[in-house]
Amino acid sequence: MFTLAEKTTARSSFLHSWEARHKLAGITALIFSFSFVRDLRLLPLILAASALVYYLTALPPAYLFARLRLPSVFLLVPAMVLPFGSGQTVLARVGPLALKLEGSLALLLIAAKFISILTLAVSLFATTPLAGLAGAMRSLGVPSLLVEMVLFTYRYIFQLAGDLKRTGTAATLRGFKGRSLLSLKTLAYMVGTLLVRSYDQSERVFQAMTLRGYGRAAVAVSATAPCRRDRLALAGALALAAFVILVQVLVL
Amino acid sequence: MHIPDGIIPVQAALGGYVAAGGAAWLTLVKIRRKYKNPREAIPRASLLTAVFFAASLVHIPLPPTSVHLVLSGLVGVILGWFAFPAILVGLFFQAVMFQHGGLTTLGVNACLIGLPALLSGALFQLRRYFGRNRAVPNALLAFGGGFLAVAVGAFSAALLLTYTIPAHLDAAAERAAIIALSLAHLPVALLEGVFTALVVLFLLRVKPELLELEA
Repeated sequence: MFTLAEKTTARSSFLHSWEARHKLAGITALIFSFSFVRDLRLLPLILAASALVYYLTALPPAYLFARLRLPSVFLLVPAMVLPFGSGQTVLARVGPLALKLEGSLALLLIAAKFISILTLAVSLFATTPLAGLAGAMRSLGVPSLLVEMVLFTYRYIFQLAGDLKRTGTAATLRGFKGRSLLSLKTLAYMVGTLLVRSYDQSERVFQAMTLRGYGRAAVAVSATAPCRRDRLALAGALALAAFVILVQVLVL
Repeated sequence: MHIPDGIIPVQAALGGYVAAGGAAWLTLVKIRRKYKNPREAIPRASLLTAVFFAASLVHIPLPPTSVHLVLSGLVGVILGWFAFPAILVGLFFQAVMFQHGGLTTLGVNACLIGLPALLSGALFQLRRYFGRNRAVPNALLAFGGGFLAVAVGAFSAALLLTYTIPAHLDAAAERAAIIALSLAHLPVALLEGVFTALVVLFLLRVKPELLELEA
């Protein structure tokens, strides 16, 4: 069910070896600059840049396509509304509907930005272990309480998903089908049971962690020292981000 | 209700981050005031965050189809002020694991889902005026919390999407889009309300202290 890219983070590539803090800052800058794009002439540049970043992950294209499939469903809504509901210039008529130029271009802009930003996000998360990402977030100013919640939540997500699956299997073996609204009560009780069990477990976890010294000092997050290549890559990413924004604002 | 990357303009995304940053700061201040050592509450809040994350993957039948619940109302009811950081963390994992939502829209999504969750938590706390152990008021307030969390979030998302998508829809089309998107979420909001009430009734019988974390 869960497919966080822990398997892919163990590989070797330029993006895998890019120091986490620099990588997070560089790719986040690119992502925000790409979402700033409003002119269609910048689309080839941002698509090419995101393709280059993904190429540097050394991951197969199939991995990216699999990750794009689910969120792409969201594009269906603008794809159904914009080409027919926005603009005046009619390109073609499909029955009672008129395909309009302005709406089609708006959809193209949204789709290209969506694909390029998602490609960058996949490249970031597929090449950075969560501990490295949390350390980078902490050193970039994210409050320690939030970072600790990220790490703890990640620790428990897989276990709880397994618990929920086992509860579901047990219910199925007892004849539960879960196909009608009447099954809502059973599903609510399953979630309630999981909450009760987890609450009891959290008390035990907290007591065990307190005995081991938790709560006395902030968690130290080890970070590897960045090298010249890390800084150069960050400078390149920031330069491209600044270029995209400046071209959008000053030239186009 | 999860707005993905690239759909809304960067100004809206940055505005979402500013608003989410402010809300996170406010909730962290409240948490620090409430707990002498706020870190002692982190394992419990994180474990419950993980429960909500896992539970939101359960298919709930809504004939002729099935839906995933958001559970933001239930998060607000149980976690109170911790609901906002919990939803922020949950959305981060959804963006990382499933590319559901997005990195640029994390702030916007946290506001769309997290702020109504705080509202639900505040609504549920009204039970102190109606009797903490009485089933009917607890169920009604929980239903209201679950329903409001989704209804307010969906309506806000519809408003945001309609007014920020870079296209020139006429006023009538904008109104129609907002109404259509909001109405489409109405069955889910009702389902969330009923589901939240059922879970609260279960907890009231089995582990009432879970409903007292914010008291």
